Amino acid sequence: MNFKIETQTLEDNLPVIRLGGEVDVYTAPQLKQAMIALLEKGVKRFIVDLTNVEYLDSTALGVLIGGLKRIREVGGNLLLICPSARIRRVFEITGLDKVFDMHNSEDEAKKAPEKE
Amino acid sequence: MSSNIAPAQVELTIPCQPEYVAVARLAMSGIASRMHFTYEQIEDLRLAVGELCTLSVEWANKNNRQEARIVLRTEISSNKLTVDILDTAGPRHCGEGTGRDVEEENLAQLLITLLVDEAEVIPQPDGTLVRMVKYVGQR
Repeated sequence: MNFKIETQTLEDNLPVIRLGGEVDVYTAPQLKQAMIALLEKGVKRFIVDLTNVEYLDSTALGVLIGGLKRIREVGGNLLLICPSARIRRVFEITGLDKVFDMHNSEDEAKKAPEKE
Repeated sequence: MSSNIAPAQVELTIPCQPEYVAVARLAMSGIASRMHFTYEQIEDLRLAVGELCTLSVEWANKNNRQEARIVLRTEISSNKLTVDILDTAGPRHCGEGTGRDVEEENLAQLLITLLVDEAEVIPQPDGTLVRMVKYVGQR
């Protein structure tokens, strides 16, 4: 239940925001802040790792969509790691699984081709 | 657990504030777990209650109702669960959003529609009542 958020940088200079617990109306603003911090640094590609997320609602989806729009405006991309069927289902029923670049593992996300 | 569940009501009142929405979700999971819902259906109910409480919180913010409350009232029957989310967050003016991102609000509405079998919005003098029904045995 406890929300956790941590921004790390992988060996190839790729930032990753790791989330845990419940991402909702109370905690999603922290995700927004973390994404804004990366965007303001000029980052054009980063990962949001949802592996340890137990719950995610429309507020969290809205924050992720906002981040995706902003980074795609500058020709970049936001990659999601989402191995959990429970969390992936929220993306599927809203059709957002077709909008986001979704991966099952960090290795898979790192190998994803860069979008034009 | 007996297959004949006697009709029962459970009620919870929380402040209409973001940090308490998780409490309503937790209660919903506990109540739904007492019925013959699948794991996925329990998750659907939890998400639907979370979305409705979030909408109440957003309206309370917009209407500047810091003292607003949310009442989660459930009626447990053998074949269905009826969930009322009643808030005192003030009026929701038609066609006027909460000020939240339009896409987020549309997503919330879409989720509620998809997650439960019936949903009805009933305006109240001091807020809004949303009544949802989820049937046992349906998808």
